[in-house]
Amino acid sequence: MKLLKKEFRLCLHPTAPLFLALAAMVLIPNYPYAVSFFYLTLGVFFICLTGRENHDVAFTAALPVSRKQIVEGRMLLVCCLEALDLLAVGLMLWVKGLIGFTPNEAGMDANIALLGEGLIVFGLFNLIFFPRWYKDINKVGVPFLLASAAVFVYILLAIVSTYAIPFVRDCLDTQDPAFLKEKLLFVGAALLFFAAATWLSARLSVKRFENVDLQL
Amino acid sequence: MATNETPLSVRGLTKTYPAFELRDVSFDLVPGAITGFIGRNGAGKTTTLNSLLGFIRPDGGEARFHGLDMKTSAEEIKRRIGFVSAGMTYYTHKKLKTITDVTRSFYPTWDDGAYKRYMAQFSLDESKTPAALSNGMKIKYALALALSHGADLMLLDEPTSGLDPVSREELIEIFLSLRDAGKTVLFSTHITSDLDKCADRILFLQKGRLTADMGLEEFRSAYLLAEIQGELPESVKALTKGVCRVRDGFTALLNAEDAKRLDVSCRPATLDEIMVHLDKEESAQ
Repeated sequence: MKLLKKEFRLCLHPTAPLFLALAAMVLIPNYPYAVSFFYLTLGVFFICLTGRENHDVAFTAALPVSRKQIVEGRMLLVCCLEALDLLAVGLMLWVKGLIGFTPNEAGMDANIALLGEGLIVFGLFNLIFFPRWYKDINKVGVPFLLASAAVFVYILLAIVSTYAIPFVRDCLDTQDPAFLKEKLLFVGAALLFFAAATWLSARLSVKRFENVDLQL
Repeated sequence: MATNETPLSVRGLTKTYPAFELRDVSFDLVPGAITGFIGRNGAGKTTTLNSLLGFIRPDGGEARFHGLDMKTSAEEIKRRIGFVSAGMTYYTHKKLKTITDVTRSFYPTWDDGAYKRYMAQFSLDESKTPAALSNGMKIKYALALALSHGADLMLLDEPTSGLDPVSREELIEIFLSLRDAGKTVLFSTHITSDLDKCADRILFLQKGRLTADMGLEEFRSAYLLAEIQGELPESVKALTKGVCRVRDGFTALLNAEDAKRLDVSCRPATLDEIMVHLDKEESAQ
C-alpha cells in the first residue's frame, strides 16, 4: 500500500485521470468505442515516460523495498486506473441508455459487452508492455509501440467480428438487456483473460527486472 | 578484518561491461570516518556505488553492511543507509513536502523532529519543488531525507560536482558535522581538493582497480613532487610514478623514499597532483 500511495502521489501523470473522461466517447454515434480504452494506455505510457525523466526508479530502488515490490506497485497503479476506466465506461453506458440508445455501425454497440472488449484491450496491453519495459526501463517507446500495435489489431478484429461472426453480430452487438446472459459470459471470459494476462505479465516483469542493471 | 561493527565491507566486487571492467574491489570502511573515494571520470566509482546499492548486479563479490549481506538483507540495509547522488533530481515538479510525506512512510525509524531541524538548518522550504532549488540545495534536501530516517552510513556520489566553491565549502562543513555525530561517510568525487579538507581515509580507483586504501596523511606522505625546469633527468624518469608537462618543464611524482635519494628539489604533493600523476602513469602503461 505504501508503494501504491507513492505511485499515486509522485508518479501519476495528469493525463491518466484526464483520459478517464474519454469514457464519454461512448456517447458519440458510430464510433469504435474500444479505442477509448487505448487512451488510458497512452496515459500509462506518459506515467512511465515522466517517471524516467524524474528518476522514479532510482528514487524507489533506494527505498527499503525489493525490486518485486517496485514492479507490483506500478502494475497495481495501472490496474487501478484500468478498473476506474471500466467503471467510467460503465457509467457512460448507463447515461447513453438514458439519453437514447443508437446502434453503432463502427464496431460493438454501447452495451455491457463493450466492457469485455475493454478487459481484453487492457489484458493485451499489460501482457506486452510491462515485460518488455522492465527489460530496460529507459526505453518506453518500443514497448508502447508493440503493445499499441497488438491493441489496434485486436480492435480491428473486434470491429470486423461484429459483421463477420454470427455470435458477435447477433448476440453481443445488440442493445441491452437483450442476450444479457451471453454478454455477461463474454465479460466473464474477458475478465479471466485480463487476470491471467496481467498475472503472467507481472511474473515476467519481475523476473526480468530482478536481473537487469539499472543504468540510472 | 571486518566485523559486525564495520559499516561496510566489500570483498572481490567485479563487474564486466564490454568496454570496462571493475576488478576485484575489496575494502572496509572505518566507522565514524569520512572516506574519500577518488578516481578520474570513468574509473568505476559510480559502478561500485551502484553495485553496493543493488542498482546493478555485480558478476562477483559481496558487500556486507554491518555484517548483513546485501543479497539477502537489502531492505534492512537500505533502512540504515543514506544515498545521495548529485546527478539525480527526483520528481522535479512535486513539492518537497509531498516527496517527504511519501519517503517518511517507508521508514519506521523516521524522526520528524530531526527532519524539521535539518530543513531549518539547510534553509529549505517545503513548499518549493526540486526544480526551484539550486544544485547545492538539492543535495542538502537529499541529505535531510537520509539523515531523518536515521542512516548511520552515508553513500555520497559526487555530491559536490557542479557546485560553486561556497556551496562546496558549506557541504564539507556538513559532512564534518556528520562525522562528529558518529556517522560514517563514503564520499565519491573527482574533486580531490574537497577531500583534502575533510577526508580521513582514501580509496583510489584506477581503471576499475582499487590501487590505494589507506589514511589520507599516509597516502599524501607516500609521495613527493619534483618540479623540473627543462628536460627530465634520466634518474627521475627511471623512478617516477607519473609525469606531467607544465609551462617551464615537468612535474614528476616520486615515492617519498626515492625522492630522498635523488638530487632534485621536491615538495609535498596535493591529493589532486597525486591522482593526476598516478593516473597519467597508469594510462601510459
